[in-house]
Amino acid sequence: MNFIRKPFGYEPVLTKEDLKRPSSKKKGPRASDWKNTLRRIWKIVDEQRALLIIVLLLVVISSGMSLLGPYLIGYMIDEYVVMGNFEGMFSLILALIFIYLILALSLFFQNYWMIGIAGQVIYRMRTDVFNHLLKLPVSFFDKRQHGELMSRATNDIETVSSTLNSSFIQVFSSVLTLIGTIIVMVSLSPLLTLLTMIIIPLMFTATRWITKRTSKLFKEQQAALGALNGMIEETISGQRIVKAFSQEENVKSEFREKSANLRRTGFWALTYSGYIPKVMNFLNNISFAIVAGIGGLLAYKGLASIGTIIIFTEYSRQFTRPLNDLANQMNTVLSAIAGAERVFSIMDEPVEEDNGRVKETHKLLGEVEFRNVSFKYELEEQAYTLKDVSFHVLPGQTAALVGATGAGKTTIMQLISRFYDVQHGEILFDGLNVRDLKRKTLRSQIAFVLQDSFLFESSVYENIRYGRLNATNEEIEEAAKKANAHSFIMKLPNGYNTILTSDGSELSQGQKQLLSIARAFVADPVILLLDEATSSIDTVTEEKIQQALDALMEGRTSFVIAHRLNTVRNADVVFVMKEGKLVEAGTQRQLLEQDGIYANMLKQSGIL
Amino acid sequence: MFVKTIFSYIKPYKWPAIVALCLMLIELSVELVQPIIIAKIIDDGIVMKNLETIGYWGIILAGLAFIAFLSGIVNSYFSSHVAQSFSFDIRNALFSKIQSFSMATYLRFPTSGLITRLTSDVQQVQTVLFMSLRIMLRAPLSAVGSIIMAFIVNPTMALFLMIGTPILVIFLYVIVKKGVRFFAQVQRKLDRVNRVLQENLQAIRLVKAYMRNNYEEKRFEETADQLKINTMKALRVMELIMPILLFIMNMSLLAALWFGSVEVGNGNANVGELVAVVNYAMRITGSFSMFAFIINSFSRAKASAERMEEILIIEKDIETELANSQNSVLSKIRSIRFDHVTFIYPNTEKLVLDDVSFTIHCGEKIGIMGATGSGKSTLLNLIPRFYEPTSGAIDINDCNIKELELKELRAVIGFVPQQSMLFTGSIYNNISWGKRDALAGEVKDASTKAQILETIENFPNQFDTRVGQKGVNLSGGQKQRLSVARALIRKAQVLILDDSTSALDVKTESAFWEAMKNESATMLVVTQKIRTAKGMDKILLLDEGRVIAFGPHQELLETNEQYKRIVLSQQEQVGEK
Repeated sequence: MNFIRKPFGYEPVLTKEDLKRPSSKKKGPRASDWKNTLRRIWKIVDEQRALLIIVLLLVVISSGMSLLGPYLIGYMIDEYVVMGNFEGMFSLILALIFIYLILALSLFFQNYWMIGIAGQVIYRMRTDVFNHLLKLPVSFFDKRQHGELMSRATNDIETVSSTLNSSFIQVFSSVLTLIGTIIVMVSLSPLLTLLTMIIIPLMFTATRWITKRTSKLFKEQQAALGALNGMIEETISGQRIVKAFSQEENVKSEFREKSANLRRTGFWALTYSGYIPKVMNFLNNISFAIVAGIGGLLAYKGLASIGTIIIFTEYSRQFTRPLNDLANQMNTVLSAIAGAERVFSIMDEPVEEDNGRVKETHKLLGEVEFRNVSFKYELEEQAYTLKDVSFHVLPGQTAALVGATGAGKTTIMQLISRFYDVQHGEILFDGLNVRDLKRKTLRSQIAFVLQDSFLFESSVYENIRYGRLNATNEEIEEAAKKANAHSFIMKLPNGYNTILTSDGSELSQGQKQLLSIARAFVADPVILLLDEATSSIDTVTEEKIQQALDALMEGRTSFVIAHRLNTVRNADVVFVMKEGKLVEAGTQRQLLEQDGIYANMLKQSGIL
Repeated sequence: MFVKTIFSYIKPYKWPAIVALCLMLIELSVELVQPIIIAKIIDDGIVMKNLETIGYWGIILAGLAFIAFLSGIVNSYFSSHVAQSFSFDIRNALFSKIQSFSMATYLRFPTSGLITRLTSDVQQVQTVLFMSLRIMLRAPLSAVGSIIMAFIVNPTMALFLMIGTPILVIFLYVIVKKGVRFFAQVQRKLDRVNRVLQENLQAIRLVKAYMRNNYEEKRFEETADQLKINTMKALRVMELIMPILLFIMNMSLLAALWFGSVEVGNGNANVGELVAVVNYAMRITGSFSMFAFIINSFSRAKASAERMEEILIIEKDIETELANSQNSVLSKIRSIRFDHVTFIYPNTEKLVLDDVSFTIHCGEKIGIMGATGSGKSTLLNLIPRFYEPTSGAIDINDCNIKELELKELRAVIGFVPQQSMLFTGSIYNNISWGKRDALAGEVKDASTKAQILETIENFPNQFDTRVGQKGVNLSGGQKQRLSVARALIRKAQVLILDDSTSALDVKTESAFWEAMKNESATMLVVTQKIRTAKGMDKILLLDEGRVIAFGPHQELLETNEQYKRIVLSQQEQVGEK
């Protein structure tokens, strides 16, 4: 008994309640409605209607040819071989060769084009989901694991791919055969046809019983796979720490747990989906028994000719075969739906709101104003990171943000770039609310040197060019020289053409920062945001690039987070942040004269 | 057909697999008997109008159908158990192997490629295994059975059916070879897709800040396009199988038919034999679509299996332990010595460390300074043996660290990397990560020393506050301090801090170093700040991989020009510009 409940020790995945509750109620009605999901896939497939129609026509041709071939062979045997008449046979054989050639060709081309259609559909889905991802607000990414998201664009889409490649033609040709068989059957005997159909409700119920389970299980399986992917990505990206803390064994056991979860859901999904052909086979046999039994009875009573019944039993077998095939395809289709649903759920995430009414080409002057801004991240409940912050920076001014870590300095930078929208208050650029500006307008005029520097897998040129795509190689080298990066770039194996990798060790952290700075030099922005831009750079090098940075800030509105007083000293205005509040503002001299928090900070650190 | 190492992972599930195969055979034999029974029902029952016979054979048919049904259902359980457990074991084996990689090996296998192998590739092989246990034998058996039957009926006619076989064998060999190559290419392109995805997710802020949506979209489209093209190429090549197989077989059938009819005409065979042979031939072609599908899946699985094998067979570049390790030296570390250490990263030529020699003693606090790219981080990475020196040696108490067990060596080191590398989970879990059995008091204690306790307690959920991947929701300074706390909780003898306080404000930082004064651990600290360096016992100054000065602050200030320049660059001046 225990084996039936927990075979091989696999705990059941679905509870009774899981099955009772209709799936549409569980989540949003849109995303989990499988009919809707199918419709969405169809919409993409339908974009290639012309090719699709050709494929379907070819299926019709190949189905016809595969019927015609055996029919002609039968005819040939009956009319020629049996009759001992060999004269006309040769031309018949030629005709057969021709038929089989057409069959082979139509099979080849229908598959050839179907693969093309599927490839294009998958490509569309993949790029759509990627493009959508890039449009999502930053807060979306704060909550997800990278690997989990990656799984959707790879593993989940892959389920759709294999289904389109293998099942589509199959489903269509099954339907075709089914219709053909039914027509022949009805013309032979409507009564017996009805009898054959008896099993259809049974098949339907059985299929429903199974697919109700498999559709949920497939979804669980894809989710488990996503979780595993997330864990793998995160662990391997942080492998150095795993090693440093000798956590290999712990990480392995965590992996095993997630992997076992995938095994468990996968076990049930596979098992249940394996039911379908077996159940169908069984029902076929039952149907045959019914037809044979009742047919025999009819023949016995003289209500039907024996010939009809014999032909009919044969047809009833033919009738159930495509039904069987269809039921089998049901599983693949369901797994594709499970995958597609997860893909579409990403595409249903609302994108960064961007309905600014100001022209996209609007030039900013660089005036930045915060008006009673309060802001909190979605991840943390309750606590506000910024509380009622107001300030005004004029075009061309340099503002330094100082304060303890976690005081909200970086948050201010992120709000200026509009990575997040504020809950209270307004942010204004040249007196325009940030919500009225298009993101493109805003960000194309801002350059950002982030705390963490990122490199893309491409050449040094391309990595710096990221700041402005139409920058020439000369401009890039110029920027690299200013950022003091030129000398180490020249020492790389291929100089500026060296391919860098995101997780490689070619460059030190400080060198990556120098490249980020060069990126900002190339960008030529109106507003410049430097968030600890030089934190990993040694101070001698920093001094060298400071002049260039000063020159860069000249004439641009700049926000600078730095602990170094030299940077702060050059600022037109210093904002002192404490626990999310702007507590002091003014030039350094004013602040020192005030003898408030800022002066106190300097005293404590032994500078004053 | 399969790769050997991968195949060996089925062994533990030999018995369930055999049970599954037996069940499949039962099903198959029922299917083979069925037509005979059906023929009986028709010939003896319906034609003879004998209801009793119909009933009798009908019940037998139903009984057999039920047996087949039952075997089929039970087979489901066994097959999916074998398939799932097999892939579970492979995943674990792959992951364990990856965990044993040396850092140098990681550089060879980008994360994205490892992810694809652990998920997509495993999935491919699993699918084929499941299929094999359920339906694989059916098509070949029915083909072979039909061929045998044809030979029994009329050997010469059957021989004609076989004319195409040599061509078929050669053709299939070529196709499968091509298929495996193409599918491997597909998986590699999938790696690329994963890679671009990963890069973009990691750098989402940068992409947004520079409005590079279109650029990245184009980059991704190119990668996705490559994947599409390669997938289509692989599938299309495999798709050749079915029509060609079918055509060759049908031509053989026509040949047999022609020859057969000549034989019939000559009176050497009868029409019944010819009809039978033709029927068997048609049955063979009927199983061809399944054949094509099997060959397709196998080629794909083989490609994936080979990719996994690439990982599993790695023996050389994993972290290895010497048999007689001398862990006893680690119980009390008296000194750490770099002895003419040079280092070049694998597959590069640049000398990152050049003849580095120095000795530090128990309890000393060493500041490491130098220009960007001078080898500071690399030097620190050699101590926990992330990399092995290209030449020279690192000794602890005069014992080369190569002779120490890695686990034991790393257990005495608290490591704080330059990038904080936090993990998804609660703050508590992130701090106790380095010591899973840590008590709540220890977590609190480590947080206090890392100057993060107050911050944590100000969070609404305190220690239960969730940290997003890589700590996205924390400020730079908070991340660094958590990373420090994670190292401190281990109470290690050696503490390595790689510029780990750069994002801290002056006040917090000095409080931190104040707290560190009472720590007895030997410390190696990379820093940019003279203020921090001043508090160290000695300062090691690096320049382009060479040690150019080693001594206390005052001494260096007096003797070393370069050090003087650093100090000068940090003269804080208060006042107007």
